Parts: sequence; structure tokens; C-alpha cells
Amino acid sequence: MTAGEATPLEFMMGEYRAEFPRDRRYARNHMWAQEIEGVWRFGFTAYAVRLLQDVYFLDWTVEEGARLRASQEIGSIESKKAESDLYAPLAGDLTRFNEALLEDPSAINVDKYGAGWLFEMRIDPSSLLKAEAYIEHLEAVWVIAQRTIKGQMNE
Amino acid sequence: MAKRISVVISQGQSPHPAKRQLEEDLITRLMFEPGIDVTVVPHLYDLKTDGTGMLALQGVKGDLVVCSWLFSRAAFWVLDRSGIRGRMGVTLLVPDEEDEEELEEELDASGADKDRVSDRRDLPDRTIWTLDLKVKPSVDDYIEEIKRIATLQTTKTYQLAPPGPGVQPAALERYHAGVERPLVAPVEDSTNGSSNGSANRVDAGDGKRRWYPVIDFSRCTNCMECIDFCLFGVYGVDTSETILVEQPDNCRKGCPACSRVCPENAIMFPQHKNSAIAGSDELAASLKIDLSKLFGAPEDGKSAVDMAVLERDEQLMAAGREAVGFSVGVSPTPKEPDQSGRDELDDLLDELDNAGI
Repeated sequence: MTAGEATPLEFMMGEYRAEFPRDRRYARNHMWAQEIEGVWRFGFTAYAVRLLQDVYFLDWTVEEGARLRASQEIGSIESKKAESDLYAPLAGDLTRFNEALLEDPSAINVDKYGAGWLFEMRIDPSSLLKAEAYIEHLEAVWVIAQRTIKGQMNE
Repeated sequence: MAKRISVVISQGQSPHPAKRQLEEDLITRLMFEPGIDVTVVPHLYDLKTDGTGMLALQGVKGDLVVCSWLFSRAAFWVLDRSGIRGRMGVTLLVPDEEDEEELEEELDASGADKDRVSDRRDLPDRTIWTLDLKVKPSVDDYIEEIKRIATLQTTKTYQLAPPGPGVQPAALERYHAGVERPLVAPVEDSTNGSSNGSANRVDAGDGKRRWYPVIDFSRCTNCMECIDFCLFGVYGVDTSETILVEQPDNCRKGCPACSRVCPENAIMFPQHKNSAIAGSDELAASLKIDLSKLFGAPEDGKSAVDMAVLERDEQLMAAGREAVGFSVGVSPTPKEPDQSGRDELDDLLDELDNAGI
């Protein structure tokens, strides 16, 4: 493993090659997490962004400073392909939203691992996954994700 | 003189290119139709009752066709709460696969004996058609339907208001001087005459997305479950003891709890992703896939009241108040969960193709 940290891990979503940098951790709800000056910054992973495609609108229903339960509903997103609610990746205090996205959420598509970050939280990071474990998680859920998509289509 | 009809295009909230295109195509085409006055307003649901956008619509006295990105029923009752009332026009524009008659019969049969708030209301002698822009992809369908409606106008056109846009922007601006920001945008074609070729564009929004319940008074029985349940002071009663949404902006963004406890499914949150709560009569109406489960939505399997109590407690705590659980405002005979309407997936086909499924 000489390539080490610099090489992102990959996961094939059909033809699409989703990349997952190893310089950060991952939550099971398809957000990455990176520690920045004592708080953890979250954003969508390549997997989530691929499913969403072009994001048109992002909205938060909790305030900065809110104490969140794991899986608490915190907002919603509208994209070319989806309209979904968003949920806290884990319990903790929400310290800041990425204000820039509220005006123009396109950074989520353009720079998902950088300027497209969503929010920052003060958390206990012990349950976050390393990139390798997240990929395993993806392998396990990809079948279910496809079934979800198909299932909704058949209704 | 020929009859004229007012057609309002209410724009979507997000700058979705396909939506904007449909709106603009519709506006352009309508401007070339004789006898049609076109007014363009921001998203209906976000307009304040005393704001410029609603005032422009309140100025229209005759028959009215309103095209918006809301379910037809939701749009009709959003207008109603701002005093824009009339008979509900029946549109032939329905989703292709919907079997509306069957649904209506079912609803009628289940509650024919009940006294609805709308039964004892006097309505102005005119008809309002609310067309849902989500129903058809093609502008032709809307043009055709509007032309059909124009031939059945039910009220005489009086010469009180000049033909042309129902409200003169200049007058509105005067009216509004000092009330709130002067928001009337320049009319595209400033000649503003009675001929075709112009649309009255009212830019009345602060762009903020609002969140509040909308009551369907053709379903509401004035049972007061909602006023008992909501602890944020959203509901009130008018002088005749009829329920109303008195303080819409007290409502907690994202919380649809009162709609879940309403025994008649009379409360809509037009922006809720669950189409049953958003005012659809069908179960599957959203055009987009719901990825909420993937993003961590808890598995459901709770009753509507369980959900409502949970949502209310969440909002109470978020507001720094105590959770109350089932102890306040929950009827002893909880309503059966019947709002499990799931969102339909639509154009993910190409996505699936790409994904190699």
C-alpha cells in the first residue's frame, strides 16, 4: 500500500466510479466527516451526490446551536433526481451551516469534498467509519439502494 | 365585448430549469391568446395575505385560472385563506393514470352525512380553477385546458376594472407605499393595454419559504382537534367560532403533526414531501425519488398519532420547551394511520440505466 493516504478508495455504482478520500471518516448516512479545529465538518459523499445529481435547493429545519439526536430530521434537499429529507449523521451539537450553499448549492456537485461541505458538529467521532469500512457498508447497502429505487418506481 | 379571463402563473420556488421553462413557455403562449389576461406571481404558498402578490390576485373579480406547482386542492385552499374565493372549478387535467371518479365517490360515500365548514359559507359568484403544473410535462396541455375553461366562464365581465391585468401595478405601488417594500416589478410591456402581448409580473416575495398548515374547508368539520393539539398557537377561531390558521408563521418549519391528527385529512402542508399531506388526492404523486431512507430516515411503522406526538415533542424541545408526549391534545380515539402514501419515483429510469441495473 505505497499509494497510501493520497489515493482515494473507489466504489463502482454501475458504470460510475465514486471516489472516497482516505483523509476523512464516513457516516453510514452517506456523509463524510473531517475534524477541523475541534469540530467535525460534514458533507455528502460521492455516493450520495451521484444519487442526487444536480442539487437545486437545500434547506435546514434546525438552527445553529441545536442539540441533535442521531437520525433527527434536520432539513431537506431538492435535486434533479430526488426530493429528500436530511438527518443528523449522529448525535451532537450542530455548530454551523455552510451559509454559501443556501444561496447556491452547486458546490455540492462541483466540490463535494471541499467547498460543498454541509455543516459542522461537535460530536463523539468514535462511531464514524474509515473509508475502507464505509466501502464495505456501501457494498452491503448498494443492493438495497437499488431495490429502494426500483421499489419506488414500481409503486 | 368579448369575455376575458384572468390566468395566473405562480412560479416555482427553486430555479429548476425545466420548471422555469414550462412557466415561461406558458406565459409566452398565453400572451398571444385573445381574451386572456396573464399575471405572474411568485410561489403562491409563500405569498403573504396582505402582500403585493395576493393583493394582485384579490383584485381579480371574475373567473380565475391559477397555475402553480402545488396540488390543485392545495392551491385552491391557499387562495381561500387569502380571501380569494369562488366555486372550485373542475379541471380535466389529471395525471394520466389517475382514476379520479372512483376516488371522489369513495370520499363522498365515507362522509356524506357530515357537516363541513364550507357547507355554510357564502361564496362569490365565480369559479376558480387551480391547475397543477406538475401534472403534465407539455405546455400544450395547459393551453388547451385554459382555452376550454375560457369558453365556460360563469360570470359576466363587468367594466369596473379595465380589461388588461386585473390590478394596475402603479396603483398597487401607491397602495403599498410605506406599507412594505415597494415590490411591484416593472411590467414587461409597459404599455399595459387591453391587447395581447403583455403579462403583469408581480414580484412580491422576499424569497423566503414559508411553512404553515392550509385547511380544506370542504373537508373540515370544525372538530377542533388541531387547535387542541398544536401547542404553538397557530390555530384560532373566527367570530363565528370557525377554525382558522390564525398565526401561520408561528408554525414550526417541517412539522406536519396537526395534519396527522386531523380526523378528516383536511389539513395540508403543501410543501411536505408526503403527497397525501401536501394535498394530493392520490397516493403517489411526487415526480421524484425519495432518498430519505438512504440518508438516515428512521423506519416508520408508527401510527399517525405516534408520529405527530413525536414531531410535536421535537418542536417543543427545539423551542426550549418541555416535551408533552401524549398528555396534551390527543384524542382518546386515535385516528387510524392512513397517510402512508409513498412518493412515486419517476425519471430515475435513466439513472438506473446509467447505474447498470
